[in-house]
Amino acid sequence: MDELIKDLSSATEYKEGFVTEVDQEYVPKGLNEDIIRMISAKKQEPDWLLEFRLDAFRKWQRMTPPQWGHLKLPRIDFQDIIYWAAPKRDEDRPDEIDPALMETFDKLGIPLHEREVLAGVKPKGEVAVDAVFDSVSVTTTFRKTLAEQGIIFCSFSEAVREHPDLVRKYLATVVPAGDNFYAALNSAVFSDGSFCYIPKGVKCPMELSSYFRINASGTGQFERTLIIADEGASVSYMEGCTAPMRDENQLHAAVVEIIVEKDADVKYSTVQNWYPGDAQGRGGILNLVTKRGICKGSGSHLSWTQVETGSAITWKYPSTILKGDDSSSEFYSVAMTNNYQQADTGTKMIHLGRRTRSRVVSKGISAGHSENSYRGLVQMGPAAEGARNYSQCDSLLIGSTCGAHTFPVIRSQNPHAIVEHEATTSKISEDQLFYCTQRGISPEDAVALIVGGYAREVLSRLPMEFAVEAQKLLSVSLEGAVG
Amino acid sequence: MDNRIYVIGRDYAPQFLRLDAGEEVSMTLVFLPGRDAQLSMEVDLVGPGARLDLAGLYLCPGSERVDLQVLVRHASGGSFSRQLFKGIVGGSARATFDGLIYVAPDAQKTEAYQENHSLLLSDTARVESRPQLEIYADDVKCSHGATTGYLNPDELFYLRSRGIPEAEARHLQMQAFLAPVARRLPDALAEEIYASLP
Repeated sequence: MDELIKDLSSATEYKEGFVTEVDQEYVPKGLNEDIIRMISAKKQEPDWLLEFRLDAFRKWQRMTPPQWGHLKLPRIDFQDIIYWAAPKRDEDRPDEIDPALMETFDKLGIPLHEREVLAGVKPKGEVAVDAVFDSVSVTTTFRKTLAEQGIIFCSFSEAVREHPDLVRKYLATVVPAGDNFYAALNSAVFSDGSFCYIPKGVKCPMELSSYFRINASGTGQFERTLIIADEGASVSYMEGCTAPMRDENQLHAAVVEIIVEKDADVKYSTVQNWYPGDAQGRGGILNLVTKRGICKGSGSHLSWTQVETGSAITWKYPSTILKGDDSSSEFYSVAMTNNYQQADTGTKMIHLGRRTRSRVVSKGISAGHSENSYRGLVQMGPAAEGARNYSQCDSLLIGSTCGAHTFPVIRSQNPHAIVEHEATTSKISEDQLFYCTQRGISPEDAVALIVGGYAREVLSRLPMEFAVEAQKLLSVSLEGAVG
Repeated sequence: MDNRIYVIGRDYAPQFLRLDAGEEVSMTLVFLPGRDAQLSMEVDLVGPGARLDLAGLYLCPGSERVDLQVLVRHASGGSFSRQLFKGIVGGSARATFDGLIYVAPDAQKTEAYQENHSLLLSDTARVESRPQLEIYADDVKCSHGATTGYLNPDELFYLRSRGIPEAEARHLQMQAFLAPVARRLPDALAEEIYASLP
């Protein structure tokens, strides 16, 4: 086994690591109120939004980066980042998408060719996509089809222009501007992201998805996503992301807010595949993200599923506030780290309403010299009568130079609530490997098979389109670890 | 292996312990009602074959503040540790359990287990549990579990339907909950604990 580990510790290619050559425009490097005004002006934002940004910026200036993560973060020079970059639009044809961008998303397997899908030329995977390239949304597909049912799915900037009342009503209601250091930074400089509103009683007929691509060097990406499911609505939303291979670290600080009204149902899935850095730990994305949803009305439901394989550093805790009575939430996560990657990820389940239920299933896989931590909070508030939580956190260690950690916090203030947490740590046993290899399965495939089985409970929760991709991604990320 | 018993407040419990190769220690900590307590304990298992068997129970039916921190550090491979902490918290009491199992790099073949269970009896009681694992070796068996809950109403109904008065039935339930730790104690101390149940 040891030889196997050594044998395979050569890095595998990150196939999304290419750079697209397009003319881009930037704002100057650095961060101050003028830069924020400039970003806001470029997006032709109303005054209230500029005020919101400036207020967040002032809050951010008084804050310090959180230190509690089990992470060795490089020092980030916030004045050395370009906060806004966008591909230039062709002046003569402002409505057309640059073919180079089209090609980029094609190469990444993201279907932007709405017409072809509609005409049946491309295989029919009914997914509406909002494609974000650096700081701007390139296009959002199937908008008309969706609009027929009253569903709003567009870039955040468009939502600000066309549905300012909705945006203003819900923005920062789940993640306040001063929530934490990175959320405050995002609130000050956020560029584009997706906005999604499902009206009362509507079941979204197709999967909605956002795809985030970092391309320009020296920039950061600060997207903002807002999803609102009104009474009785339901939607499944997917998010994917990639970035070019570079020796520098790039910052990605996003905020996602989800509002789930009475009896509504939101399923949020992420496959995170930002560039993880090379085998020596150079470069890679710093993924410092705040995601939070609120089950506002009774009987509402929010489900998080994440597959985290990329990023040099992941700091991310998709959380749910279970406010409505009988609301429920789940968190399913597979976090895989290899080489010198570090992940500190988990969830918070805040039970406020009666008979609220939550379930947490986290599967960590660490290989190489990586560090992988689960960090979670389950809180039962004084009014959470009859609330219930079950958490299971498993870690799988591959090789003896990595670390796997579990840091759960359970806080109960209610004598009629039940919380259960269990965690295990294990490795792939020689017996399991032997069983596979003596049946003619190569060691690499055997490990992929065992890891696939280990992560199955989570992968099976992903929408079809994502599940296949995620499975592939896991085996690719594993290559060079043990195989 | 003899079992050392420490009643917090009456006995002086060690803050640091070092277990060399082959050394075995069994310990039980008891927190009786009516007393605030703060205890932090560190145990280093530095040799192969070192074994720690640690248990504790805390009773906080009034307005106690109990704060318990346990760090078990496996510095050497082939060592073993087991922890079991059980608590009953009522009134306006506050109990915090903060436990960390640390397994050093190359401490292969380590086995470490940790459990913390608490029962909440009142609306104003607070329980916090932080069972943590920090592991840097791959060939290990480590697990932890934590629960918070309340007295099962079905069990209570079962007992009462057989003519057992409610207060007594509740005591039986609590005794059963504490039994895995209480049975490590001498009869006199166990009786004292059972007599002090709310």
